Amino acid sequence: MRKLFLAIVLTLTLTSPAFAGLNVVATLPWIGSIAKEIGKDKITVTTLVKPSQDPHYVEAKPSMILAARKADIIMYNGLDLEVGYLPLIIESSKNSKLMPGRSRNFDCSRFVSAIEKQANVERSMGDVHPLGNPHYQFSPHNIIRVAEGMANALAELDRANGDAYRANFRSFAARFKEKQKQLLSLNLKGKRYVAYHKLFGYLAHEYGFQVVGYLEPKPGIPPSAAHIEKLIEEMRHHKPDGILVTEAHGLHEAESLGAKTGVKVIVLPQDVGDMKGTDDWFAFVDKVVSSLR
Amino acid sequence: MNSLRIVWCLFLGSLFFSVSAYGEDTTKRLDRLEDALKGQAATIEDQQKTIDELKEQLKAKEPEETSSLSSKLTGLFGGSLMTNPYISVVLDAKGYASNLKNSQLNNRGVPGFTTEGRGLKNGFNTDGTELFIFAPVDPYFNLYANIPVNADGATLEEGYFVTTDLPEGFQVKGGRFKSNSTRLNAQHPHAWDFADIALPYKAFLGAEGVGGENGVQLTWLPPLPVYTLLGIEVLQGDNPLLFGKDDNWGPHAFTAFAKVSVDTGDDSTLYAGPSVIFGSTRSAGILPPDAGTGNTFGLRGNSALYGMEAVWKWKSGLHGVNLQGEYLYLVQNGDLTESAATGAAVSVHPLHRHQDGAYIQALYRYGRWRIGARYDRLELFADTFERGGVQENFSGKPWRATGSLEFNPTEFSTIRTQFTSDHSGRDARVNNEGILQFIFTIGAHPAHTF
Repeated sequence: MRKLFLAIVLTLTLTSPAFAGLNVVATLPWIGSIAKEIGKDKITVTTLVKPSQDPHYVEAKPSMILAARKADIIMYNGLDLEVGYLPLIIESSKNSKLMPGRSRNFDCSRFVSAIEKQANVERSMGDVHPLGNPHYQFSPHNIIRVAEGMANALAELDRANGDAYRANFRSFAARFKEKQKQLLSLNLKGKRYVAYHKLFGYLAHEYGFQVVGYLEPKPGIPPSAAHIEKLIEEMRHHKPDGILVTEAHGLHEAESLGAKTGVKVIVLPQDVGDMKGTDDWFAFVDKVVSSLR
Repeated sequence: MNSLRIVWCLFLGSLFFSVSAYGEDTTKRLDRLEDALKGQAATIEDQQKTIDELKEQLKAKEPEETSSLSSKLTGLFGGSLMTNPYISVVLDAKGYASNLKNSQLNNRGVPGFTTEGRGLKNGFNTDGTELFIFAPVDPYFNLYANIPVNADGATLEEGYFVTTDLPEGFQVKGGRFKSNSTRLNAQHPHAWDFADIALPYKAFLGAEGVGGENGVQLTWLPPLPVYTLLGIEVLQGDNPLLFGKDDNWGPHAFTAFAKVSVDTGDDSTLYAGPSVIFGSTRSAGILPPDAGTGNTFGLRGNSALYGMEAVWKWKSGLHGVNLQGEYLYLVQNGDLTESAATGAAVSVHPLHRHQDGAYIQALYRYGRWRIGARYDRLELFADTFERGGVQENFSGKPWRATGSLEFNPTEFSTIRTQFTSDHSGRDARVNNEGILQFIFTIGAHPAHTF
């Protein structure tokens, strides 16, 4: 019996996939996407959360814990977005390398200048993130800095391939510059939108448009009939250019609001891979900004 | 006045002298100076531009960053944040209504298993407020404490460290903690999917399961292709029903468990594993006092509780399904001592038990709403309860059926209604009960455990 058990354990261990460079675990799809751009064939990326999943309400599944167990570095969004499951995943993974405070615990938000920081916050205000708006995957301005931080972190961990990571970042930065030029030429200045969740603060900030109202009365709280009535009244006054929504969140409510007000509903991907043709971060941001036009 | 004029003359004279001395370079020098001035002007202009840009950027940022966070959030006595651990408080309050009287509820055990009553009274019940405190100790340990406070005072239900720096996927937990051997044992009452624990747990372990036990745990997560968690625990064995305090021995309860999990699709996960809890037993909670003589029964012997659990969860967008079941099988052997009220032993008989129990539950979530159903039953395949070699005859097999409806305004609040038809008393009296439960969490964000 004991021999059989040992045999099973050995077979399972030996047949596990061969080590292909650094094992990078990313919580969210956009993080995995940027990591792939920087690491290319030198790393293996495992992404924990699915593109369509709400990143606030994720359960620490055993498969995620196992992925963290095998990780050389874990990369996450930060700003308390993954606060419900990431500490649990890291502690349960029993992988001492990933514990907070170590270089293999990579918080992408360290490279971000966050907007909407709240000094005075309590839960009666809804699901507010006191450290700032955590949805900066929409922010080209911040993403380029995250990518640079990743390149440095990977180069530090895997010195033999350091030049490759830095070269990959340079080509990422070149592509980024092109994309940024193209996106800014679309000119969204002065446009006004209504949104379901507070997802688009960074975009508005960088491209000069305004979000004049939210379907959620408070972040994370679904709209009541009275709130919708009030919003319709406000929309008559503001005449917004569209209602911004993601497929997973509030699509039904947005469509019904669109039907009542005649304002067009713009469905945006919430993360890389959430919609067709958003397979990497460039395609994702392209889809988002071009949809806003 | 005169002297001033002389100084001026001398100054102009020396200037003239110096200029005339280098006469041929003057034009060149002037040109050079002019060039330098122009260059400086350009630099100043550039710098002004940069300053203006920075000012603009600052202005743009101002509305968001009206005040620096770090200056607001400080610890005790103006110290650093580090002096504050994460703290959360959970309130668990219940309204209870039953067709039985409070005295009947109080004496309603499960014959052949436990003498513990219902634990809830008709009317308002506040089970307590649980205070959770946790924080990293240093780079090597995390510390957790769970202190329920109720009308009787505060108790230390849990207070343990967890290692964070052991190699090769090993982890040690020590102090006072809830056993991770089976699913409901590891969960806190407010995290259960229903207002009370499943019947097999109540019958074999009590209304809170094994509960907080002093001891130490070792777990190992090997880097296999499939999630496989292996664990063993050495516990003091304070659970009054399965073990009981033993003055002669130190730790006299042990557990071993394995948990295996695979994702059965993009949206679903299966989680299952066997467990065993075993040790020496000194319990007075199995049989009620004799109805005629008032004599009490105490057991001294050994127990082993074998368990098997399985959980399947599916989640997609607003929808979620959660199926869960556990099977428990008890083997217990020992001497049952009948004692008179004076404490003198009246008789000693061998007790031999082979009994089992199981529950199965299903929950469906849609957005903020959740409905659930649970069925629990004892003595499915084994009902041996031999006292002095004679099988005890209890009438009927204990079972319960439960339905629930939940509204979760946010992840920090739950309002639950639950109805149970309880046939666990083995008598003609059925306990039809309704529970209205409120659970609220403040403070540190709760963990989304699978």
